[in-house]
Amino acid sequence: MKEKFILFTVAGTTYGLRASDVRHVEMVEQITGVPNAAHFVDGVVFSRGEVIPALNLRARFGFDRIPNNLHTRLLVVHSEGRSVGLIVDSAREFVEIAAGDIQPPNRALDGAGGGHIQGTATLETAARETRLILVLDLRGVLNFTESISAA
Amino acid sequence: MADYDDQFIAGFMDDYFAECDEHLAALRELLLKLEGSVGTGRADARVLEELFLCFHSVKGISGMVELREAELLAHEMESYLRALRQREISVSQGGVDALIAGVEALEQVIKARRDHRMIPSIGGIVGRLNAAISGADSSGAAVSPSPEGGAPEWLVTFVPSMDLNARGVTVDTARGLLRARGTILHASPRILDTGIAFEFGFAGNLDAETLAAWAPDGLSASPLRSAHDTGQSGASAPGAANDVAEEGPHASLSSASHYVRVDLDKLDELMRMIADLVISRARLSDTLGRLEPRVPAADWRAVHENNATIERQLRLLREGIVRVRLVPVGEIFRRMTFVVRDLTRDSGAKVKLLLQGQGTEIDKYLIERMMDPILHLVRNAVSHAFETPPERLAAGKLEEGTLTLSAATVGDSVVIDIVDDGRGIDAEEVVRRARLAGVAIPDGPLDPATLLDLICAPGFSTRDETDRGSGRGVGMSVVKSTVQQLNGSMRLDSERGRGTRFSIELPLTLSITEALIAIVGDSTFAVPQAAIREVVEIQAEELRQLQHHEVVPYRGGTLPIVRLSRLFGLPDTPRPRMHALVVGTGLDAVGVAVDRVAGQREIVVRTTADAAIKVEGIAGATDLGDGRVVLILNMVSLARAARMGATGWSGAARHARSA
Repeated sequence: MKEKFILFTVAGTTYGLRASDVRHVEMVEQITGVPNAAHFVDGVVFSRGEVIPALNLRARFGFDRIPNNLHTRLLVVHSEGRSVGLIVDSAREFVEIAAGDIQPPNRALDGAGGGHIQGTATLETAARETRLILVLDLRGVLNFTESISAA
Repeated sequence: MADYDDQFIAGFMDDYFAECDEHLAALRELLLKLEGSVGTGRADARVLEELFLCFHSVKGISGMVELREAELLAHEMESYLRALRQREISVSQGGVDALIAGVEALEQVIKARRDHRMIPSIGGIVGRLNAAISGADSSGAAVSPSPEGGAPEWLVTFVPSMDLNARGVTVDTARGLLRARGTILHASPRILDTGIAFEFGFAGNLDAETLAAWAPDGLSASPLRSAHDTGQSGASAPGAANDVAEEGPHASLSSASHYVRVDLDKLDELMRMIADLVISRARLSDTLGRLEPRVPAADWRAVHENNATIERQLRLLREGIVRVRLVPVGEIFRRMTFVVRDLTRDSGAKVKLLLQGQGTEIDKYLIERMMDPILHLVRNAVSHAFETPPERLAAGKLEEGTLTLSAATVGDSVVIDIVDDGRGIDAEEVVRRARLAGVAIPDGPLDPATLLDLICAPGFSTRDETDRGSGRGVGMSVVKSTVQQLNGSMRLDSERGRGTRFSIELPLTLSITEALIAIVGDSTFAVPQAAIREVVEIQAEELRQLQHHEVVPYRGGTLPIVRLSRLFGLPDTPRPRMHALVVGTGLDAVGVAVDRVAGQREIVVRTTADAAIKVEGIAGATDLGDGRVVLILNMVSLARAARMGATGWSGAARHARSA
């Protein structure tokens, strides 16, 4: 069984998110900062009539922020009744990955990502090169009450 | 209390009548279609299906309002249609006639209930429908006697009780038992001194053994007439003298209901459209403002007047929709009487519930969301707030405790109070437990707001053990967060030995409100006008440092000032003058300082409930028309921070973040 994934990059790494979890992908426009919010929350944006938080995945994963540019995208995801925007460096690809091709994450990798990786998938490109995709654990990324109090 | 019950039931019944009117109108139309198909040999299966569904709905809603006669009639007609469907036979003229008579009887039963008249007997019609069903069963024999035609008739009484209920034995169980043994002719509830009982007219053979087996399930029966008697009464069914047929087939439903049922989603959609209009108009005003210098004064006046007219009309339109969405708060108050009754029956406590202001109206959505919080506060009060009767007597109080639920409209908000005359909250105990849980609390008397914060902290409970009444200490934090999500506020007032008052203030409706636009540095905020007492200009040289507070002279006293820039960690540029938004009165007054107030406008409030953006001091967000999100300040929370001075929540929050 194959599932559709949307691929995006953050700080040079390619991640995958199940397409069924992604509502839409937007250009990043006006973000209004929210005082005293967690450090990786860039603020709030209007997306299709809703006010949703915008999470900076670079900050979430412990990388330095970069200024938003033409490639920056807002992935609006839906999880457990919440709508949240994820700010990523770019999001351009759409692939199918078989469930069997997703391996549990290597402990070291998961440690680097802060427990936000569900698994890794290896894709073969047209040029017969292999690419490594980290499959995002959306719930882990969005569940940050612990990380705030621990910060 | 009594007239309130009536009012509540009346409102409930209006819905029922409105729904019945729709179904009856549909039924009449469907019966006409069905009649047209008689003799053609092809009854439209879709018509039969729709009829079936209509009767099924009427049966269901009639059961809910306990109009048993209507329920029974609808049930019989539903059964007839089921028999037709299952046996794939075409409908006879006799069958259609029986259905038409049945629907007429149904109309009259409903009408009688609406006009508070005696419900006509339906025995004859039910017999006729039964005959039609058995006719269908025997595949089209003209009119055969009903299966129980020769059976003796009984008056069967079912008395529900808590014990039976606990065993899952309800009036439906009783119906099932009866149906298994014969036919229910009619059914009606009867109010007894001790509660309620259901009486069934029943035709069937009951022996002593069956009756003995039924007794533990709350069923008892007494014979009405023997098989011999019924045999003699023949085709004319029991109770014919008072039969609906006597009223004539053309008695119509003259007192039609004036209610239209509207899906809340449709109202939400209208509200959204109005919200969009409000934003478009604000945008138009901005554009017009920029054009003003370039338009001749006389022309400008006409444009300005038109714009003002649109603004006024838009406000009226919005208020109209808001009114449509309002429902009396008594709807949930009323449910609390049952909750209190249940809890006091379990615990043996003596608590009287007083309801006040049940007619106060509030947005449907808000009241639905407030159901659980109010339920929790009421349960808490009944379970923990009151002393034992001997303690009460010793304290010179009435043995019976009083819990008062009241609601009142104050300006643009609704205030709901939950007040008990019990022992009051033991603040020292709360502090002791909070300290045990690691919360740092300064010595000295606690102000009510801090006390409320402590008991609303997640996981806080003054009980070591949980019990059915109060849940597990997660309750108060949920109460608080729900109230906050609804842009409301909560206050606590408690005095040892005298009692406790929880006051919940909610906006009349969500979505649109008047707001001031406040600027701090590069940031723009919206401030709900209802939350502010006044805006004062303060000169920088008037500011004095007093312990942890900055203060300015105000109305012969001093006003503590807290700068929004500092609470929110925004760049703080020295300014010769600022604006302070004054919240609270008298000794509670505090000023939240911003760079300047840049105007006033209607805003569309959108909640920011997501955990990622739920921060102290922010109530929601809005869109000023240019696509940018502007945060709405929660003045209650800001004022609390201001009262705490420099050690307010922001200082603590920033400390936690830098650590």
